[in-house]
Amino acid sequence: MPITHLTDFSDKLSPMLVKELRQGLRAKTFIAVFLSLQVFLAVMLFSAGAASTSDHVGSVVSGIIFTFFAIAVLLIQPLRGIGALSSEVKGNTIDMMVLTRLSAWRIVFGKWVAIVSQSALLLSTIIPYLILRYFFGGMNLVAELTLLISMFLTSMALTAITVGLSGCSSIIVRALLPIFGLPVLMWTVAAMFLFRGFRSSSGFTDIFALDSTNSRIGMAVYVGAITYLGGSMLSLGTSLIAPAAENHALVRRLVALAAMLILLPLGYSGKIDYELFYLLTIIIAVPAILIALTESAPLVATVCKPFVKRGILGKSIGWFLYPTWASGILCSILIGLIGLAIFFSLEMLNGSVSPWDRGEFIVILAIFGGLFFPAAWQAFLFRGEGQRIGHYLLLLVGSFVMLGILTALSESMDNGLFLWFFAWNPLAFLAMLSDHKADKEVLFGAVAIVDALLLILLITRALIDIRKSASVIREVEISLKKPE
Amino acid sequence: MSALKVNNLHRYFGALQAVNGVTFEIPNGSVCGFVGANGAGKTTTMRILATLDYPTLGSAEVCGINVVHQPSEVRRLIGWMPDHFGNYEHMTVLEYLDFYARALGYKGKDRRKRIDEVMDFTDLIPLADRFSNKLSKGMTQRLGLGRALLQDPQVLVMDEPAAGLDPKARVELKHLIRVLAQEGKTIFISSHILSELGEMCDSLLFINNGRIVHHGDAETLKRGSDSVGGVLYDVQVDGDPQLVSDWSVLQPNVEFLESRKLGGRIRIDTQDPTKAADVLARMIKDGLRVTEFHREQRNLEDAFIDILGRLDAGENALTPPPLPQSSNNE
Repeated sequence: MPITHLTDFSDKLSPMLVKELRQGLRAKTFIAVFLSLQVFLAVMLFSAGAASTSDHVGSVVSGIIFTFFAIAVLLIQPLRGIGALSSEVKGNTIDMMVLTRLSAWRIVFGKWVAIVSQSALLLSTIIPYLILRYFFGGMNLVAELTLLISMFLTSMALTAITVGLSGCSSIIVRALLPIFGLPVLMWTVAAMFLFRGFRSSSGFTDIFALDSTNSRIGMAVYVGAITYLGGSMLSLGTSLIAPAAENHALVRRLVALAAMLILLPLGYSGKIDYELFYLLTIIIAVPAILIALTESAPLVATVCKPFVKRGILGKSIGWFLYPTWASGILCSILIGLIGLAIFFSLEMLNGSVSPWDRGEFIVILAIFGGLFFPAAWQAFLFRGEGQRIGHYLLLLVGSFVMLGILTALSESMDNGLFLWFFAWNPLAFLAMLSDHKADKEVLFGAVAIVDALLLILLITRALIDIRKSASVIREVEISLKKPE
Repeated sequence: MSALKVNNLHRYFGALQAVNGVTFEIPNGSVCGFVGANGAGKTTTMRILATLDYPTLGSAEVCGINVVHQPSEVRRLIGWMPDHFGNYEHMTVLEYLDFYARALGYKGKDRRKRIDEVMDFTDLIPLADRFSNKLSKGMTQRLGLGRALLQDPQVLVMDEPAAGLDPKARVELKHLIRVLAQEGKTIFISSHILSELGEMCDSLLFINNGRIVHHGDAETLKRGSDSVGGVLYDVQVDGDPQLVSDWSVLQPNVEFLESRKLGGRIRIDTQDPTKAADVLARMIKDGLRVTEFHREQRNLEDAFIDILGRLDAGENALTPPPLPQSSNNE
């Protein structure tokens, strides 16, 4: 029987993209979203056409188009990425892919591109409706196009987050992601749009019309931030599925460290708005710290070799750049300390003009410690390598829940002294800060001590792990000494 | 050069020692069966050889290439078939193979040619348009084998390929493995169905609690020449079967073990076949009308249990590996 060979996709396309498109375009979720969006938009446009005597019909139509497009590309499409890598891991198919010439990065990237391509297909199908909507009048073409592109870019970043985290087999992560992750992301997005540059704009449409310098800078920062975040998460997914012999943490950490070091002189030069500067520091540091604290790869000879052969300096640098949990701890502390240095030195430099005071210092130290707090618990309570991200996120969410309860209690009680019982969690200092009677200098000193203790604990634990791995380094050193 | 060479391999998962000092060599072009109970360390060893896991200590080489230091090179030489693997939704058999062929770097006509060859070999052509997740277990295993063969590997590592297959599918799979062996591929295969391994394999590796406890060829094991305490013979006579028992009681170096329908099972306390001939001659001389007298072949399950039993008794059951000489590629 002759085989009818496939000619649907070019050889030039990535194998992963071809596979995902073949599967994805047949998936019931995509077909349902695609058809319902078309049916709904067609019905809505006919209805609007019938009521075209109203002055505001154009903006109403725009609102409806964007609302439904947002549901499709900001919610449904990213959620499709949740099982992208875990289904391959569970089905034992990831091993077979790794054995081909597909690198772990190409696998993750292909998964992401496939979902984004389908989102692009959805985007292309709403364009005819937007053109028709133009005839209803009252359209700000640049603003609506910018909004559309922003939504699409946000969808790309959200999809990168879900695809990246889908490499974790933990059910906790995948359950937490839609419940807590998306609201947190939405809050982050809103916070980014509300920083000073955007706040100066008079309205929502003005932000996307890009007719002021602030809105243009704001949009550029936003695009840069979601690109970095998306890239970091795809890199995390790559690490989760890559063989032990590959070090994907290296590029990720070097990019974060380089970005932090580039930021420092920019901040001192005073050319960047200081609030924007702080925002950028947080955007770069927080994902890098979170990912580094949850690394789970073992140390194998292949990973050590490039560092060990560069002597003592190479070996020392290696302990910050190996993809292991211990070096993740050391690197995240380094990134965190650079971030703190940026905050504090700039505050002292610009103290006279800055609205920040010691209260803000306490907030920064509490959040800094809050990021390391789950890792410290994890170091002693949950050692399972495969569930590291899940446990970390669970503890982080638990910390924030505790903060919410403490804040509510402190507001309902006259005396906030009981909060000191919870001082072992740095986030508790945020609740203490809401108590007006609290002495800020004491709080500052206390949170600094708690943070320092956490770091000492983590560094000690990391050094114990490093000592355990010393045999791998010795093995590499011996192999390097042997003649070829 | 050995196709597979494993030296003092250890793999620990926390406190669990999954593989504990495994050492063996498999020559080019041979078929080696890997036998052990669940959790004995088979899959971990095979995954390390396939570059999917890493050793805590020791080394493993495929065609002389270290699996830890040069995993990419090893992957070009090895075909891996896991014990179970999920198939993709919304993807036909042809699309499945097309994806892996693309992923292996085949382009255009070369890809189509290679897919044709593999589908023809594994008899998947009639299933080309069937969704891969709707296949039976036997068809799925053929698809898995087809995928593993796409890059024409020198070494094929198969973890429990016959598990869950019906007898017909098992025969088909066995046939395919035989053909591959004839083509000169080195095949390292694990299975619980030892009788089938015995038919297919040049040598058998037994692993228990992460340690190799035997490496030898199937025939030696079946003959029971490793066993202590004599060789078993099945004797059938024309007449009262009780005669065999009565006769045996009076003979030196002969032990009657059990009655059978037409005679009985005896153990002769020697490995020397001429002594067995003497026993037979005495039987006939003493008037027993012997219709059948043959050395009993242990099945491999018995041999495996025997080796484990000797281990429990504190014996070192590891025999020096009488490695079969390869007929191909040497």
